[in-house]
Amino acid sequence: MKKFWILIKYEWLNFRADKGLLILVTLTLLAGLYGIYYGTTEVERQRQNLAGLQKLTEHNVEEMKAKYPAGADAGDIGYYHSTFAVHHPDSWAALALGQRDVNPYYIKLRLLNLQSQLYDTENINPQKVLAGNFDLSFVLVYLFPLLIIGLCFNILSVEKEQGTLPLLLSQPISLPLIVGAKLTFRMLVVLSLGLLLSIIAMLWGNVVPDGRVALWLGVVVLYCLFWFAVAFLVAGLQKNSAFNAVTLLGVWLLLTIVVPALLNVYVSIKQPVPQALALTIKQREVVHGGWDKPKEETMEKFFALYPQWQDTAQIKERFVWRWYYAFHHLGDVAVADLASQYKQSLLNRHELVQRLNVLSVPVNVQGIFNALAGTDLPSYVQFLQSATRYHDALRAFYYPFLFRQITFHHADFEQEPKHHFASSPDVASATAGVVKLFISVLVVFGAGLLLYRWKVASVK
Amino acid sequence: MVRSIAQKEFLSTLRDKRFVVLSVLVLLLLLAATVVGLYSAHTLQQERMVAQEEVNHQFHNSQDRHPHRMAHYGSFAFRPKSSLSFLDFGLDSFTGASVFMEAHRQNSANFSQAQQSSSLIRFGEMTVAFVLQMLLPLLIVFLCFGAFTQEKETGTLKILLSQGVSLRRIAWAKIKGYSKTVALVVTPALLLAAGLLFGQNGFDLHPDTVWRLLLFLSFYLVYFFIFIVLSVIISALHRRSSTALVTLLGIWILFCVIIPKAAANLGNTLYTTPTKAQMDADVHEEVAKGIDGHNAQDARAGGLKKELLRKYGVDSLSQLPVNVDGIIMAAGEEQSTRVYREHFDKLTNTFQQQNLISELAAFLNPYLAVRHLSMGMAGSDFSHYLHFQEEAEEYRYKLAQGLNHLQATRLTYKDKTTRLSSDTWKEFKPFSYETPPVQWALSHHVFSLAALFLWLVLVCTVGFRLIDKTQIV
Amino acid sequence: MEFALEARQLKKEYQDKLALKGLNLQIKPGEIFCLLGQNGAGKSTTINLFLGFITPTSGAAYINGLEVADHLLKVKEYLAYIPENVMLYPNLTGLENLALFSSLAGFEYDKEQLLFYLIEAGLPAEAASRKVGTYSKGMRQKVGIAIAVAKHAKVLLLDEPTSGLDPKASNEFSDLLLKLSSQGTAIFMATHDIFRAKEVGTRVGIMREGELVDVLGTAALDANELEKLYLNYMHN
Repeated sequence: MKKFWILIKYEWLNFRADKGLLILVTLTLLAGLYGIYYGTTEVERQRQNLAGLQKLTEHNVEEMKAKYPAGADAGDIGYYHSTFAVHHPDSWAALALGQRDVNPYYIKLRLLNLQSQLYDTENINPQKVLAGNFDLSFVLVYLFPLLIIGLCFNILSVEKEQGTLPLLLSQPISLPLIVGAKLTFRMLVVLSLGLLLSIIAMLWGNVVPDGRVALWLGVVVLYCLFWFAVAFLVAGLQKNSAFNAVTLLGVWLLLTIVVPALLNVYVSIKQPVPQALALTIKQREVVHGGWDKPKEETMEKFFALYPQWQDTAQIKERFVWRWYYAFHHLGDVAVADLASQYKQSLLNRHELVQRLNVLSVPVNVQGIFNALAGTDLPSYVQFLQSATRYHDALRAFYYPFLFRQITFHHADFEQEPKHHFASSPDVASATAGVVKLFISVLVVFGAGLLLYRWKVASVK
Repeated sequence: MVRSIAQKEFLSTLRDKRFVVLSVLVLLLLLAATVVGLYSAHTLQQERMVAQEEVNHQFHNSQDRHPHRMAHYGSFAFRPKSSLSFLDFGLDSFTGASVFMEAHRQNSANFSQAQQSSSLIRFGEMTVAFVLQMLLPLLIVFLCFGAFTQEKETGTLKILLSQGVSLRRIAWAKIKGYSKTVALVVTPALLLAAGLLFGQNGFDLHPDTVWRLLLFLSFYLVYFFIFIVLSVIISALHRRSSTALVTLLGIWILFCVIIPKAAANLGNTLYTTPTKAQMDADVHEEVAKGIDGHNAQDARAGGLKKELLRKYGVDSLSQLPVNVDGIIMAAGEEQSTRVYREHFDKLTNTFQQQNLISELAAFLNPYLAVRHLSMGMAGSDFSHYLHFQEEAEEYRYKLAQGLNHLQATRLTYKDKTTRLSSDTWKEFKPFSYETPPVQWALSHHVFSLAALFLWLVLVCTVGFRLIDKTQIV
Repeated sequence: MEFALEARQLKKEYQDKLALKGLNLQIKPGEIFCLLGQNGAGKSTTINLFLGFITPTSGAAYINGLEVADHLLKVKEYLAYIPENVMLYPNLTGLENLALFSSLAGFEYDKEQLLFYLIEAGLPAEAASRKVGTYSKGMRQKVGIAIAVAKHAKVLLLDEPTSGLDPKASNEFSDLLLKLSSQGTAIFMATHDIFRAKEVGTRVGIMREGELVDVLGTAALDANELEKLYLNYMHN
């Protein structure tokens, strides 16, 4: 054990004297800090934008009050007044932004047909979202393996290439001890860097300190161990440094880029989402067809769904708001199947990815991070569902005014339902991911150990 | 001499089993990406074409309606995939596929592929461009890292030089040999891609598509050449193969992984994108100060009415030979569109400022240069997306104004019930989108073009001067 | 009595050739055994077998009575090794390199003691705190010698240790070997240098194609006779 620590001490001396390694570690540290900065500013910006929506709503209400000083027909309010369904980020979102930049995080809603409003997008620069987020999860998932590869690709081969191995092995120490000490030293460096960055990010991002702290840190450790296991395995082949570097980078490329890209192709073919265009076309057809249908027919259909308004006054006018909102709602009802299929297809896609992520540890780990931060597709679908419920609540709020023909007073704005939705972590799927990750680490380490047992150490 | 060295490099590479295996893998990926790209582009194109035909049909056969009702019924623009986009999806997966076009409102382009995917899509997509941009440079690095170091390690460099060949000529010869090898890997896939592309159109070549394809290929050839020369230079500057390799791999990581992402993120941090909600509110506010097509109480509408009364010398609006409703609506549409346009331009400007960082970063990184040019040629870049949005907005405006004109001329004042016959709608030309010509596409990538050629010139001049400084002993 | 170094029917076979054909050899404490032979004769194979870097096909090598293959780590406490080309950690100083290898062997020295060993091996004192990357081959060789001496080994395995040393350093090295052997260290040295072998060796062995063809006591020979004998073996 003492010799182990001697080796570690001299690894440290060697490491300290090697400018290349120092630069590598410093660069990773800086990249990590930038990632944390980027993630937190991005989430802060989204928070500010969400807070800004509050003001927009208030402004809109003021405008309504000015426009209808003596109270209004609720139909006019429903048409001209808008509120927002908002998707607040979880406090962890700053660590893994996931799909939060692609999917809208608020929806502007009026009392009109929901399906024509639900999928409106936010102003996004497609070139930026194509490049992706430089957040902490990117640094951990993409760059940490590269750091590990940079530190470990010549872990054993350098001793041979610089000729120190014979002298080292002529001392009473074994080869596994040497490799073990060198790996341990590098693990100490990488893990402390990874954990340090994670903790900085948690403090900086002001996250809710729950069980996820342990999960996140555990995943960081396991993921780094996975890459160390890969490096350990490749070092066991006892090839030269160039071979190791190419092999390790090849594995990195395969797991973080090629396999995910192929999975993506497979998923989009296996689980297509054809409903979107059909839904958007059909919804328009039904809603606008509503103008031309006999009013009794429309109202009958509507009353079948909402019998509580059945006894309200029969419509004789050419235009009346409650009829207008009725056929708008029937537009939603007509595409309800498509809409739920659409959401289901999205979730199925996500499920399929969850099942396939055993093929690529980085995909799995990114998935875990996003699940912990609540920033992946399921959060978005939950938000869509929450927004749908909010729209239902809005309708329920306005219907009495419309059907009982009650004047909408200024004070009634206070009673209007407000929406709040914050994404929640998907701890269950994160835990499932951790189990898979753990198994991956064991498998690769096991393979490495077998290789060392099977292959005799050669000095040259 | 140069030929024999080039030939030696070419042959010894082909005899290197590891390299052959890697090349075959890259070639297979390239072929797979071609087929997969074509398949998915075809599927999306089909989906959108069917949808576009359906909405066009619906519009033309729509029942008798009041023109303003028709203006709200509106139409859809589905963005067709450009014919080369199967080579490089570019931004296509991150941009909306459908825009709903109606009166008074400019809607967002909705339903991008990325919104319908889990975060898996952020790992990148398997396209020809991806293989050419990321994987081939890596293959080149692997091919060339030992160009000089190996000769140094085995001592053959001294022998070569003692035969009276200059370092530069050795370098050129090696570059020639490697270029031949790379061509051998790339050509089959590109021939297949071109064959499939032209085959599906029954070999009915559109000259613009041919130009785009040719330029697409030439940009990549220049890019590969830059990487080959760069690798040979780095190899010349190192004493040991392993350090040359590690340096080159570091450069690759910086070029292909870190800089692109950092540049885009930096742009996003530097220039704040306004939210759509805020933008819509601002547009609404500015329009309200002017005219509101739905609100006859508005002061400017009043002014317009007075002016019309004076012009035709009548006392009441109902006596006017034209329908004032339609005219007010048209004026309102014009006003709101102008205001929206201003805000949209401001937004686009912000995006372009953000993207400028990446474009300038191309001077540091040939990967970014070729990436932009590749998307430009494939018709999947930002400017093509913008072009589509503008075309859709243009169509929307014309449609709305056409319908307002119908209301002004065929309907009477305050008439909200008259319906125009279904045949009227057939007079409106459906939305159709044409990809702009190749010159247009190129003109949006001046920086990237300049950067790519600057790189080419730099590696060929400064690079070779560095090779002269190679330490032989 | 126990031999410091012993080989019994030691055989090493590679896929394509028999590198060592059943070596029998005993070396007593305090004895200096010099092994002469051409490149590829099996000298390095013999040393690597004693070091346990390779495993014998049959037979056994013993250090201090322990079979090497069975006590890979234990035997290394007894032996020290100086390769033909001593390679050290280029980023560490001579002192740090010596400190590392000594501590791995179980010896903790303070800086003064370390410096003493380096100077005794012939390294200039000012060089001791410089990085080894700046050393010449001869200087690295001297650090290698210091490492071996500081280990207080019972057996010293030397693989052409003086190649690359200038004549003066070589002479000093010979003196050092004699001093160590007088303290009871057994020394096994593979070399090409017939004259030095005659000068320091107690016995000289001649190896050809994996076989120890002759062992001669140096006391009864002069260097010229030895050379003649050696060349004779090589030509037949």
